[in-house]
Amino acid sequence: MNKLKAVYLNEVYKISKKKKITVAAVLSVVAVAVAAVAVYLVNNFSGIRVTGSSELSILVLQVMSYTLIPLFVTFVAVDMFGGEFSDVTMKITLTAPATRLKIYLGKILAIASFIAANLLAIMVLSLIASFFVGIGMPNVVRIFFAYVLAFFPLLIYAMTVVLISNLIRGTTGAFMVSILVFLLFIGAGILFPQIKSFLFTASFDWYRLVLGSFINVGKLLRVFMILAGYAVMLFGCGFYLFEKRDL
Amino acid sequence: MDNAIVINGLTKKYKNSRGIEDVSLTIERGDIFGFLGPNGAGKTTAMKIMVGLMKPDRGNVLINGFSILTDYEKAMQSVGCIIESVNPLTYMTAYENMKLVARMHDHVPDARIDECLEQTGILKFKNERTKNFSLGMKQRLGIAMAILPNPKILILDEPLNGMDVEGMVEMRLLFLRMAKEGGTTFFISSHLIHDIELTCNKVGILYQGKRLGVETTESILQNYASLENYYLSEVGFNE
Repeated sequence: MNKLKAVYLNEVYKISKKKKITVAAVLSVVAVAVAAVAVYLVNNFSGIRVTGSSELSILVLQVMSYTLIPLFVTFVAVDMFGGEFSDVTMKITLTAPATRLKIYLGKILAIASFIAANLLAIMVLSLIASFFVGIGMPNVVRIFFAYVLAFFPLLIYAMTVVLISNLIRGTTGAFMVSILVFLLFIGAGILFPQIKSFLFTASFDWYRLVLGSFINVGKLLRVFMILAGYAVMLFGCGFYLFEKRDL
Repeated sequence: MDNAIVINGLTKKYKNSRGIEDVSLTIERGDIFGFLGPNGAGKTTAMKIMVGLMKPDRGNVLINGFSILTDYEKAMQSVGCIIESVNPLTYMTAYENMKLVARMHDHVPDARIDECLEQTGILKFKNERTKNFSLGMKQRLGIAMAILPNPKILILDEPLNGMDVEGMVEMRLLFLRMAKEGGTTFFISSHLIHDIELTCNKVGILYQGKRLGVETTESILQNYASLENYYLSEVGFNE
């Protein structure tokens, strides 16, 4: 457990030291600010009301979970695996007294923390922005649960990127293939609606299930089980490749 | 005497049929073992397997009695290493790179980081990003990272690569002091045969993936004019 904690702390430390994280933070603030200003202008000057205070956070989540967050996740996950293998800095991690399982798990947990921190930052920023653009108090509890649910499909996507960057040598290739897979999954969901519910990208907006007046617990459970299935398969396959890989 | 490292029938073949074949070695505790061989003999391959960066096709390595294949954590608990080259994270400072190693071991205070950077002569660069480090400075940082947790065994692949003469002498003295005062076992590969002669008390030769002789430096120097002569005679080189 101590070794897993040490690996996790090292990986979080590495993420925090990267310039890309500063860029991600700045872009997140800008994205929330742009959304807030846009909503304010439309609500006050166009004669129509596009969103209330609660929905601003959901609107931001909807846009960010399909665009910037997957992009940041791809950068971080590819850097953490393909990047470290390419520039051989993975040697520092692999020669430490920790099994590859702990190293792999520690890295996945660090990526999960990055996603959670990203979502939390966007949620807080959008809630603050809500006070300036909306009418009344936002429903913080529902918004919180929506953001919690949004975390899971993003983690599955991150694990897909991890699998790809253990499969493909080189960071550029892994990055391109990851983005392509993301777009293909979304495209397949649109073109073949009959298989949509089995694609993890279809659950990117499953948080909507907790926003209505009726919460369909059965459907929530079904989607969660599908995501859990993805998690087990992706973790198993990714770890198999990571464990086998020579440096 | 108990054994620090036991290598049993280590075999690893690449697609180009190079690699190592059936290499066995025993390094006793407190030894400073020099691993000699020409380029492509398989020294780095053997050392990568010893620290778990590569899986062997056959064979095993026991470090402090623990198998590198089945008891990795215990085997590597008291091992420091440099393999092939030193590749610190370039977006971090020397101190931050050291901190990555420190976290993986129990009880490594910041004072120990300073002590290791001082011993390797780069304390004044502690807060500089390693992006701008020269090859020699990276080697010094690699050695500092390897000795940080006070390991009982050091596995060093070309540790003096890219260092100036002053640096080479400083590091050699550091290794000799660690072996004498702390009983640290060293497994060092180097193409600097003179340096091996001055540092190591035992020498093994790897040639075309196979282990040739293993002798003490003392007995070699009794029978040959220099370690270089012994090496050339072992690999069958005729001038």
